[in-house]
Amino acid sequence: MGDVFAWLLFFFILIALLVMIVFQLMCLADLEFDYINPYDSASRINNVVLPEFITQGVLCFLFLVTGHWVMSLLCVPYLYYNVRLYLRRQHLIDVTEIFNLLNWEKKQRLFKLGYIILLLFMCLFWMIFNALEEDEHSF
Amino acid sequence: MGTENPNPPSYPVRPAATPFAAMQSTPPFLSSGPVAGSESSSFRPVPPASSQFRAPPFSSGPVVGSEVPAFRPPPSGRSNELVGPPPSSSSSSSHGPPAAGFQRFPTPSLPSVGHAVPQRTGQPVLSPTTRPAAGTVASPPISLLSQPQPPSIPMGSPPPSMKTGQVNGNIPPPAHQLLSSSRPNVQPSSPPVRPSYVTTPGISQATIPGYVNAQPNTVAQAQPMQPASFTLQQRGYAPGAPPTPFLAQQRSVNPPSLYSGNQMQHHVVAPPTATSPGLAEDFSSLSLGSVPGSFNAGIDNAALPRPLDGDVEPKSLAEMYPMNCSSRSLRLTTSGIPSSMSLASRWHLPLGAIVCPLAEPPAGEEVPIVNFVTTGIIRCKRCRTYVNPFVSFTDNGRKWKCNICSILNDVPGDYFAHVDASGRRVDLDQRPELTQGTIEFIAPAEYMVRPPMPPLYFFLIDVSISAVKSGMIEVMAQTIKSCLDSLPGYPRTQIGFITYDSTIHFYNMKSSLMQPQMMVVSDLDDVFIPLPDDLLVNLSESRNVVDAFLDSLPSMFQDNTNVESALGSALKAAFTVMRQLGGKLLIFQNTLPSLGVGRLRLRGDDIRVYGTDKEPASRAPEDPFYKQMAADLTKYQIAVNIYAFSDKYTDIASLGTLAKYTGGQVYYYPSFQASIHKDKLRHELTRDLTRETAWEAVMRIRCSKGVRFTNYHGNFMLRSTDLLALPAVDCDKAYAAQLSLEETLLTMQTVYFQVALLYTSSSGERRIRVHTAAAPVVADLGEMYRLADTGAIISLLSRLAIEKSLSHKLEDTRNAVQLRIVKTLREYRNLYAVQHRLSGKMIYPESLKFLPLYGLALCKSLPLRGGYADAQIDERCAAGYTMMALPVKKLLKLLYPNLVRVDYSVVNLSPQTDESNIIRKRLPLTADCLDTRGLYIFDDGFRFIIWFGRSISPDVVRNLVGEDFTGDYSKVSLSPRDNEMSRKLMKILDKFRESDPSYYQLCHLVRQADQPREGFFLLGNLVDDQNGGANSYADWILQLHRQIQQNT
Repeated sequence: MGDVFAWLLFFFILIALLVMIVFQLMCLADLEFDYINPYDSASRINNVVLPEFITQGVLCFLFLVTGHWVMSLLCVPYLYYNVRLYLRRQHLIDVTEIFNLLNWEKKQRLFKLGYIILLLFMCLFWMIFNALEEDEHSF
Repeated sequence: MGTENPNPPSYPVRPAATPFAAMQSTPPFLSSGPVAGSESSSFRPVPPASSQFRAPPFSSGPVVGSEVPAFRPPPSGRSNELVGPPPSSSSSSSHGPPAAGFQRFPTPSLPSVGHAVPQRTGQPVLSPTTRPAAGTVASPPISLLSQPQPPSIPMGSPPPSMKTGQVNGNIPPPAHQLLSSSRPNVQPSSPPVRPSYVTTPGISQATIPGYVNAQPNTVAQAQPMQPASFTLQQRGYAPGAPPTPFLAQQRSVNPPSLYSGNQMQHHVVAPPTATSPGLAEDFSSLSLGSVPGSFNAGIDNAALPRPLDGDVEPKSLAEMYPMNCSSRSLRLTTSGIPSSMSLASRWHLPLGAIVCPLAEPPAGEEVPIVNFVTTGIIRCKRCRTYVNPFVSFTDNGRKWKCNICSILNDVPGDYFAHVDASGRRVDLDQRPELTQGTIEFIAPAEYMVRPPMPPLYFFLIDVSISAVKSGMIEVMAQTIKSCLDSLPGYPRTQIGFITYDSTIHFYNMKSSLMQPQMMVVSDLDDVFIPLPDDLLVNLSESRNVVDAFLDSLPSMFQDNTNVESALGSALKAAFTVMRQLGGKLLIFQNTLPSLGVGRLRLRGDDIRVYGTDKEPASRAPEDPFYKQMAADLTKYQIAVNIYAFSDKYTDIASLGTLAKYTGGQVYYYPSFQASIHKDKLRHELTRDLTRETAWEAVMRIRCSKGVRFTNYHGNFMLRSTDLLALPAVDCDKAYAAQLSLEETLLTMQTVYFQVALLYTSSSGERRIRVHTAAAPVVADLGEMYRLADTGAIISLLSRLAIEKSLSHKLEDTRNAVQLRIVKTLREYRNLYAVQHRLSGKMIYPESLKFLPLYGLALCKSLPLRGGYADAQIDERCAAGYTMMALPVKKLLKLLYPNLVRVDYSVVNLSPQTDESNIIRKRLPLTADCLDTRGLYIFDDGFRFIIWFGRSISPDVVRNLVGEDFTGDYSKVSLSPRDNEMSRKLMKILDKFRESDPSYYQLCHLVRQADQPREGFFLLGNLVDDQNGGANSYADWILQLHRQIQQNT
């Protein structure tokens, strides 16, 4: 039973990650179409960058401690990338150069989005798989 | 090479193909034909010809007509020159001259052949009949004809003699006869002929390049057009040609003659050229290998092209669109906008524009100001374009069509005027906005976010020990005081001061006080602003207090021994004070900021870092505090100018971001000493304070659908994708923008650009400065090359390179510059090399003849040169920031400085000698030009280096420098002395300074063989020479040539 709850937890964490990334993408898109000024856009995005990194790190850690080391391994490249960005101090958006980096920032977040969605589906699969297994056992 | 002007008329004519291409295969030829025809058509009223062409940019009949004289005269004059002696050429190589003659023509000629034929045929008739001596220069047509062929000697002779010339030239005599016989037939139609002559030069040229196998095609084409009798003759003619000795070339010669029939004279001329095949090739290649002929034997150094006349702007665009704004305000890297993405991708140079929105008009000219307050400013309802000379009025003046988005707009009632038969508004002469490319509108209230703010100057002064020691404070205080009367915006001007070392000092300057009141705040983490309302005062009200403050400032801190500098906190305090109004913030920084937020650390002095991946980091800003601060400052309309004075590392890379993102400027005075640098600081600070400044500005560049400005480079901050925020702008700042195509194929024939700068003038008026320009769309790469503007290209290229150097190694950056040039020239070579055996020659378009040299100069410029030891990191960064904002002309002068010899005029004591003559005699930048008995001035716009030859008369030196002329020149300054020579030299220097007032050129004296001083100041900057591991000009050309030939 615990496994199902664990997967459910992972699932919600992933959803949270997804929301944060989509939010950043939306800010960037708004900026591109001039609905928002670069100052607001940058500060909004920067506000969620660290939470996103931390959430992702926690997720990776949780996978590891719950023994789902394959999933944990899958999270590692993402984590490594984030850590590298952070160490190089490139994780925050630079408001002065935001327009020159717009395409790159968008591309980077789109990749992250795809990655998260992939994880989400795997998580969903395992959750359902576990739930069905539990069901079988309960008979 | 020798020719400097790509002939203007020729290019509009042929959008389609270059002559060579045309020759190769039929289709191109056809296409080119019509185009060329257009040219001829313009001159001739004949309908058939004109109908065929697609409308050229300046298709309108009348305009063309008017242009014709404008265009032609110069060439014709030239032709005259050419006629007599072998072509006189400017600095170019021996090959140069002939090429020059031909260069322009090849293209037009061919096309014209096709269509023009019938009428041309008339020409010959004329010459024999009406004109007694066809050959005489007097007859306009003839002179024109002569143009193309430098060796035009035969031309001068009357027709009969010419024939003989032909014979020599291997052209079969029968042909001539045929032609001559044809003349009578044509005669009746001849009257219109004269104008058609104009085109003829082209034809003659065509003959030359045409040697491929164009003949059959051309003939075929021509036939249908011509009268029957004529065709017959032609045929007869054509067969005759082959037998002649020089197959290829002669053929080409013959056929054109056939078509033109009339151009017997030409033929005569042509043969001589034909006899020397080498020359013919050169012509056809358009640009002569400068280097080339003697490739293996080594390069004739003197023959390499050098921009000794300074920046020569291409004039063709201005002539084609006389209503364009001046090139001072807007320069395109190429005036021919590529018609398709595939074409754009073959253009390896940056495609874009350099914009200098507030460029100073020359004396006597003023930007017309238009007040639209009653009607509201007329703008397109869809794309928001301002009304400009290129809009057209329709529907009897009730609607106007936007030139940028083609939509029809209603004309407001107050602005209505009737339209005459030709589509011109009857009140055109009273509407400067419809006739001038540059215009200024007075903006009504809807263009204001807030009421226009008064000009505000705020001074943030570092008073730590080094500032006191160097004497900076005293010079600065005196200068500011002397400028108080001339600050713009009286009587609204606001002013304020903060000084800082390890504490921050505020000054209460309330007008009711007699003396300023000083308040010291030592808590740097959370700066408390005392009396926020009295720190910023109205200058005219508090004038006495400000004067008293500036008088006492130097003495106030003369005993200060504080070595710290809390710039970050002081900056925050100034920001808080200024944020209500915006304005200009001048920071005088003497040491590395060492306390509080934004403190910086020593970095970039590690030699081991060079050549590794960490190298670029030393040139990039380190602390994000300054970037963030810059963003905030821009948001509140504050522009920052940095004055840095330290002799030690100050991290200009980080401090400079303040200027970069706020539209400011970096002034760097390494090792400032009041006794030496006083004048420089005084002049530059004065100019900064008193020049006309535009406040609270935003700039946007609009352009026709299908193209888009994507990247911007310069000192500003982007507020949205295409809106540049510029808290302060002045005439010394230029911005670069890169253009990209949005659609795969452009359908229009003209692209329009409109630069709009919305700003607050110092007088408190909201205004819009609008520059409008048009440029033709071309479908041919050769055309793009022909319309290229080296100055703009280099300006954009250098900005890209400097930006790249912040994230890449210097070596990589230089290689990237080189690669771009190589790709460009290789592409150009591919255009022409196939038809013409050009091995061993480097060919390049006339318009880009200085590109390799400027490219080399860019690689040797301060921001990009050498490695660790070749320049101080701070100097590199400061130069980089400066170059990012420089207008084109100043940048070119910085890259390739003037070197002039002055000892003759200094020693020559006659008072009448004209200094302006000296300025014109620029020398190549090579040590070979330096005569040991000479006195030279090296002027790069930022400083003068005065070089004394070893064997110069001691008398001269004593007169100029004084008694200690044998001493150390680093301590000697050049001051006016009481003798004629000194006065003369000073006069010359003043003359130089007048011509370039944006910076003060400080004199550095250098004696020959006084190392390392000489090497540092002069030898290292001689671009043409090999220095510090960098190539000499000749080697560079060879290297480029080698790379171009690889993979071709």
